[in-house]
Amino acid sequence: MSIQPKKSIRDLLSPFTAWKNILRNPVTIRDPLNDRPGSARYRGFHKNDIEKCIGCGTCEAICQNAAIDMLPVEGVETKDGDSGLRPRIDYGRCCWCALCVDVCMTRSLTMSNEYKWVESDPDAFRFTPGVDKKFWDNAELGYNRPEEHHLVAQERVEMQEMDVESRIDSFAEIVHGYSLEEAKLEADRCVACGLCIATCPTHMSIPEYINAVREGDYEKGLKLLYETNPFSNVCGRVCTRKCESVCASRHEGEPIAIRWLKRHIIDQVPHEKYREIIGDPKPATGKKIAIIGAGPAGLTAAFDLVRMGHEVIVYEAKAKAGGMTRYGIPEYRLPYDALDRDIDTIVSMGVQIVYNTRIGADISMEQLTQDFDAVLLAIGLQEGRQTRIPQSDHEKVYRAVDLLDKITTGEAFDLPHCAVIIGGGNVAMDIARSIARLQKQQYGQVDVILTAMEEQQHFMADADEIKEALEEGIIIQDQCGPQGCEIDKSGKLIGLKTWKVLSIFDSKKRFAPQYDDGEETIHACDTVIEAIGQFSDVSLLGDDLTEKLEWDRGRIQVDSEGRTSESWLWSAGDCVNGPDVVHAVADGHRVANSIHAYLSEDSLVS
Amino acid sequence: MAYQPDRSQYPQKKADGSLDIDLTSGKYLKLWQGPQHPGITGNMSVELTVCGDEVVEGITHVGYLHRGFEKLMERRTFIQCFPIVCRICVPEPDFNEYCYAAAVEELAGIEAPEYANWIRTLILEMGRINSYLMYLGGQAGSFGMGVISQWTTYVRDLMLDRFEELTGARIYHMFILPGGVRDRLPEGFAQRMEETLCEIESTMSDVYDTMYCNAVFKKRSVGVGIIDVDLMDSYGVTGPNARAGGVAKDVRIDQPYLVYPELEFEAILGEDSDIYTRADVRRKDLLQSVDLVRQILAKMPKEGSLMAKIPSVMHWKIPRGETYVRGECSRGEYGYYLVTDGSGYPRRVNVRGPSYTHAMALLERMIVNLNIADVAGLMVSLHTYPPEIER
Amino acid sequence: MHELYEKLKQYYPLGELTEQRNNLAFITLKQEQLRPVLLHLRDKENYTHLVILTAVDWIEDNCFQLTYLLSNRTNATDIGLRLMIPREDATMESIHDIWPTAATYQRELREMFGIDFPDSPRVNDDFILEGWNDIPPYRRDFNTLKFSEETFAQRPGRETVDPAEHMKQKLYPDGA
Ligand code: SF4
Ligand code: SF4
Repeated sequence: MSIQPKKSIRDLLSPFTAWKNILRNPVTIRDPLNDRPGSARYRGFHKNDIEKCIGCGTCEAICQNAAIDMLPVEGVETKDGDSGLRPRIDYGRCCWCALCVDVCMTRSLTMSNEYKWVESDPDAFRFTPGVDKKFWDNAELGYNRPEEHHLVAQERVEMQEMDVESRIDSFAEIVHGYSLEEAKLEADRCVACGLCIATCPTHMSIPEYINAVREGDYEKGLKLLYETNPFSNVCGRVCTRKCESVCASRHEGEPIAIRWLKRHIIDQVPHEKYREIIGDPKPATGKKIAIIGAGPAGLTAAFDLVRMGHEVIVYEAKAKAGGMTRYGIPEYRLPYDALDRDIDTIVSMGVQIVYNTRIGADISMEQLTQDFDAVLLAIGLQEGRQTRIPQSDHEKVYRAVDLLDKITTGEAFDLPHCAVIIGGGNVAMDIARSIARLQKQQYGQVDVILTAMEEQQHFMADADEIKEALEEGIIIQDQCGPQGCEIDKSGKLIGLKTWKVLSIFDSKKRFAPQYDDGEETIHACDTVIEAIGQFSDVSLLGDDLTEKLEWDRGRIQVDSEGRTSESWLWSAGDCVNGPDVVHAVADGHRVANSIHAYLSEDSLVS
Repeated sequence: MAYQPDRSQYPQKKADGSLDIDLTSGKYLKLWQGPQHPGITGNMSVELTVCGDEVVEGITHVGYLHRGFEKLMERRTFIQCFPIVCRICVPEPDFNEYCYAAAVEELAGIEAPEYANWIRTLILEMGRINSYLMYLGGQAGSFGMGVISQWTTYVRDLMLDRFEELTGARIYHMFILPGGVRDRLPEGFAQRMEETLCEIESTMSDVYDTMYCNAVFKKRSVGVGIIDVDLMDSYGVTGPNARAGGVAKDVRIDQPYLVYPELEFEAILGEDSDIYTRADVRRKDLLQSVDLVRQILAKMPKEGSLMAKIPSVMHWKIPRGETYVRGECSRGEYGYYLVTDGSGYPRRVNVRGPSYTHAMALLERMIVNLNIADVAGLMVSLHTYPPEIER
Repeated sequence: MHELYEKLKQYYPLGELTEQRNNLAFITLKQEQLRPVLLHLRDKENYTHLVILTAVDWIEDNCFQLTYLLSNRTNATDIGLRLMIPREDATMESIHDIWPTAATYQRELREMFGIDFPDSPRVNDDFILEGWNDIPPYRRDFNTLKFSEETFAQRPGRETVDPAEHMKQKLYPDGA
């Protein structure tokens, strides 16, 4: 039934051609152990540049074989942006897929082309590349992620902003905020390593709230924000975002836009819901605390203490709360209603704020010590520093903070036709850009020159601020050291004289500027504005207390918990740490905990 | 010619239709071929009942691998699935990588760049060549021609060298990933590939002389193990197994994917549907793939993008959907059925390996009335890889 | 594919049509429509090749989806028929008489999902598993990780540290 092969003589002889191989040389490699290196992109044993690795653990997260552990390593220090951990790989599990290499946030992890490794101890195959020295550590060949092959998007989702034309004559907020899709995309870039948490002064649970954005669970996000930061509206807009400077994504791309994601959460939850999401305070303890200054530090402490069940009264010299965030930061960066929402939330928790009341004048310090169990000094830095260069006592020489204050309260002042600003920090940018806007509104053109001693790339101000200031027509002249104000015969201020700065600090890093007086410039203007820093006015303490307290270079000396040398008095915020909102918030928490501990102790005793 | 199992004499059927095999009668003997047996393909076994040297019943057993990849993938993110799919078929892993990537791309709305598609096609054809070389060794070995497997192993190793320099690994390449491929061709690759292809062709000519023109091989393979054309569809027969019976099934032509529309080739067909014809179709297929590799290297663009923009993999979610993506591997239709549910993990992955149909129902049917000495030859001629049955 | 759907719809009540590609569509239908539609597709429309038969566990909806994927070689198109069956006592009519190869699929579904196909040849024989007495492993509620942790010994010595937690310990242990 079946088919039969055709008979052919060839089929009998042909197989014998195999014998020709007798004359052939063997194809086997004689010494495969030594003569057969892996190919140039062979995925062999791992290498890790431990100087570059930041211990983010993304390699651990992506390894589908669970072959990687993150462990502390001797000689690697835990510091900002580096957890101090390093990946240990279990070769009993690894399949050399190189996903860890592909995802590595710093490109520190690579593979050699080595594939032979003999050991009698099975545990030896669990090793920390780069730390446990191996014979392939210096192998030149092996798999390295190709430049264009990325598993995580490198560019951040661009933020939509007002363009220059529409923003220059307006104080409307520049940044529009992310849409839902944009925010999710940006949130997806986060690898949730959590390196940022340590660097954030108030240790916000950043990866968790970013996860809430990803899941669209904004109420959970808000709750997370408020656990560590009652100034989330403010910080979502103007935070100095130290976190972004240590983000794992910054090594191979742009850091996650953490601040904008925080703002995005804030923008999604209706304000009426905040109070309910945050939850109720603890039962009343009967303790009373006075806080002087309704800025971020004072109000954060107030918020915490009220939630712990204490009674808090905040005394504020001005008509509204917020401190520098209201009177210093211009509206186009931080709209007042955003700030008002934060304050409203804090007040809704039961914090009482007494406005227009200056301690030392309206109520004495002694009075407070009698009426309260503890007092917190959170007065901020309200006075502008002066350059004290010749003729700077002219009436047309202003301090930036004073003008910003006037702009906020709407108090009239002579708007300069042509202003020269001294300073390269964010306050200098704030005043320059505010003046520019007013000039555009009133005179139709911008004429602001900003001079600073540093080179532009070393300005203290944010890069974004500098970029936007330039876009708005502000002229920046860097490396200019102010030498004096120029005044004409009629006594009118006509300019600022500067010399070119050669260096600012001496070899011991002390402030000792060197100038080239041959390169002198007169910047013509009708107004000079100094924006070179602030200090606190501590006259409210009164002579006795000032005498009793311990001081450290002009600032009240405090310990790590914010206690002064007087047991009932704490101090916190910018007046202790220098200007920074989120730092002030962190400080507020710290002193609140300290005060709470003190009061609890107190009640045990009594 | 139609295959007709002849059960006229023995064993008798019971009333319920099952075979009446009384092992105590002395007439029948039960024996196991596999799971450890040189005449078996991979980790499987056939439980044979023989009467004299004729098989009266054969039952395929799998389950020696116990891996459950499909389930494992439900607990892995879309990127984490990528390194494990290749393990579903050891000798020809690339189809898993391609089908998985293509299915994910389709459901995620991503298009792999053109240049990456050329490299993918190249890899798939290289994989087909290697798989055929492995088959040839096995087919020759199962009829006692051990030397041929040594030759094919040698040239397969040369191809593995090419794989190694291109993908960074010899067996589990892990190179085609959702979005594109990992890297471009290394410097001088085409040149070295040409040398390898020449070596393969010369070996194939030796194989032709010693195996295909060999009276013994012909005697044992011509007219043996015929798959009835009528059975092709009802038993889900694809690839060379189908084409050797004149059924022109070739996914590359029927539903062209990657860059196949730009390549010139035709489906290779046979007529007799027996072991010899299948071997011959595979030989021609192999040489066709050699030609395709040459075409690809000549026609592919010199530069291009490797990867499409994919979502950040740590939080990659794919909307609800389902699809089926297939390719023509050396043994027939290889396919991935992927179901997504909007989460970061596949809801379900179902891998269709050709062995699933070839080595189970079809083999069990064909093995009856075979001479026990030809069981290994038949099994190999169906070209099955057990891991893709168990997945 | 849409045409075919309309055509079929004249004879059989059909559910939703999903046109995935121009050569692949999925059609939802009721359990009792399966056999007539399969036969129609095989005998009248040239869908002669059963590509796969598999299940998806939609545990949250308390049902299994069965997918029968058919291929038509003459016009190179595929149709997936999907139908939902309740998860409890999941049972489906066998189609091994239409495609003998379906018996293998059904045996696997029986073992892996616990879906019964009465009358399918050897449907209760072990397929891949031996002596399995846990819930069918491809059901969503079977936890592979838990199973492997309970079944296999882990090599000791593995431990890992969370970067954020470690940084807290090192840099700000009191939380402030
Ligand atoms: S190569 Fe793959 S399996 Fe090995 S440690 Fe890296 S990610 Fe894990
Ligand atoms: S992903 Fe890279 S940088 Fe991060 S821990 Fe792993 S090796 Fe280090």
